[in-house]
Amino acid sequence: MSIRTSDAPAGGAPARTAAREPGVLRRTWIHRADYLYVLPAIVVMLIVIAYPVYYTIDLSFYSTPPSLQLRDKIFIGFDNYKTILESEVFWRVTLNTFIWTIVSTGCAYILGLGCALCLHQAFPGRAVMRAILIIPWVISAVAASYIWKWIYHSNFGVIGAILVELGIMDRQPNFIDNVNTVLASLIVVNVWREFPFAMIMLAAGLQTVPDQLLRAAKVDGAGAWHSFWHVTFPHLRGVSIATILLLAVANFNSFIVTWIMTGGGPSNASHIWITHIYEIAFGRQRWGIAAAYSVILFLIVMSLGYFYVRGLGGAEKEGGGS
Amino acid sequence: MTDAVTPRSRAGIDLWRWAGRIFLTVMLLFTLLPMVWMLLTSFKSGFAALQFPPQWWPKEPTLASYRKLLDPTNSVGADFLRFFWNSLFVSTMSTILSVIVAVPAAYAFSRFDFPGRKFLFFSVLLRNMFPAVVFLVPLFILMRLLGLMNTHGSLILTYLTFGLPLAIWLLKGFYDNIPYQLEQAARIDGASRFQAFLLIVMPLSVPGIIATAIYSFIGAWNEYIFAYTFINRNDRLTLPIGIQRFFSESSSDFPGLMAASFMMSVPVVVLFLMLQRYFVRALTEGAVKH
Repeated sequence: MSIRTSDAPAGGAPARTAAREPGVLRRTWIHRADYLYVLPAIVVMLIVIAYPVYYTIDLSFYSTPPSLQLRDKIFIGFDNYKTILESEVFWRVTLNTFIWTIVSTGCAYILGLGCALCLHQAFPGRAVMRAILIIPWVISAVAASYIWKWIYHSNFGVIGAILVELGIMDRQPNFIDNVNTVLASLIVVNVWREFPFAMIMLAAGLQTVPDQLLRAAKVDGAGAWHSFWHVTFPHLRGVSIATILLLAVANFNSFIVTWIMTGGGPSNASHIWITHIYEIAFGRQRWGIAAAYSVILFLIVMSLGYFYVRGLGGAEKEGGGS
Repeated sequence: MTDAVTPRSRAGIDLWRWAGRIFLTVMLLFTLLPMVWMLLTSFKSGFAALQFPPQWWPKEPTLASYRKLLDPTNSVGADFLRFFWNSLFVSTMSTILSVIVAVPAAYAFSRFDFPGRKFLFFSVLLRNMFPAVVFLVPLFILMRLLGLMNTHGSLILTYLTFGLPLAIWLLKGFYDNIPYQLEQAARIDGASRFQAFLLIVMPLSVPGIIATAIYSFIGAWNEYIFAYTFINRNDRLTLPIGIQRFFSESSSDFPGLMAASFMMSVPVVVLFLMLQRYFVRALTEGAVKH
């Protein structure tokens, strides 16, 4: 059940060379037919990426009729952007988005790391435990949202009932109908769904930490915390960066949990950008505004992507992880 | 090695081990309790679910909710089974197509050098970072233009592009690890390049293909936002949207909702647990290498 990242012993150096060697092949195999392999992928990606991106940017400069009859759109320059940046809701939703993304990512990473470390030691039932811990990540986000909506229910919710039974509260609390608690309640659901992903990634990373170093640290009398902090954790740098960035992007783009559980309410307290844009577009049919929102979002994601690639590049240079 | 450990640090290790056990127990409860509550609720009657304090354990467990959902002769069951079938069809089709498109592309990214290779691979990765909402309005219009609104074709096409970036990424990692000497040997023995790919590389990359297929399937099975936007006709809905239509805000049939959530989760969980070894390996291979 252990995750081997390569057939090579600790260090994984042979796999690394194998990955580099096809360069030799590349030089001898340059051929026009090479494109045939990638062509289908390119065509598909062009249709559903290049076209929508171009289209969204274009649309963001127009005022559009609700019916989306595009003959009738009117060019208004940057007015949509101005409208957005001047609206109060925009800043509220922006703050929500950042809290949501940072807190969800941080908690999922820390819990995932904890689980990965605990599961790294051999003990009976480890494989079963790992399989159970992964399940929230696999089940449908829609199902997860309904389950938690039921758990948080303001009359029949089980958490509230436990709190009342234990005498901690005198009546059922409103977790998701309350402006103050809704975002935190949704973050719990999100962390529940995502910590297994961090666990999987970090567990794989732990496999690459050289045993000799840990043993050497032990001989030097380092305690568990020291050998974690000075040996294990630095080795997890590369995987950690990849995990955190992937989680951050996923959280930033997440839609289902919020949309099903609260629809962004009450009074925008749980709206994040994605749900807000959806509501502007398909709820209020302000397509131009929604497009301008999307472009802003798009720029932010691009810069995240830039850091992602740089982060990976930095990790590679140091040989972190492998 | 234990003899090298000083008494002080051994006590420290014991402490950490206990802390680890407690932490793991808490996480296990955190993971399991919501799912257990879903199951327990699904065995209650509608009346029993709405009691306060709640029945922790169903006093008169009943399979009524499941029977209702699985009975094609009543309207709820007929709908549920149709949604289930729609989800299965859409997910399977997009999985097959995404593997067919991703395999040669990933192979090319792993083996050939061609102008624009880096740029293309980067843009493939970038696709995964874009929020679906950015694509929603343009694709909505595109589907309308193509006359694909309210068809499964619109979803299959969309899910194909969803799964594609990560599929290419996962598979490229696999091909990188297959020594090219194997292909060269086949070439020397007279196989064409395509034959070498088909007969040597393909069989070796089966675990990667399985992992990619599971990923696409789970992604498509769980997808919500596009299905929610593109499909309006009741008989074409996929499960996530179908369930929502069933149990709209006004309904208080929580056992039914929990039973439906459970049944929606079963196929992907079973699939995943059966094949998790391949999947986890493929998923982490790329990240750990980086």
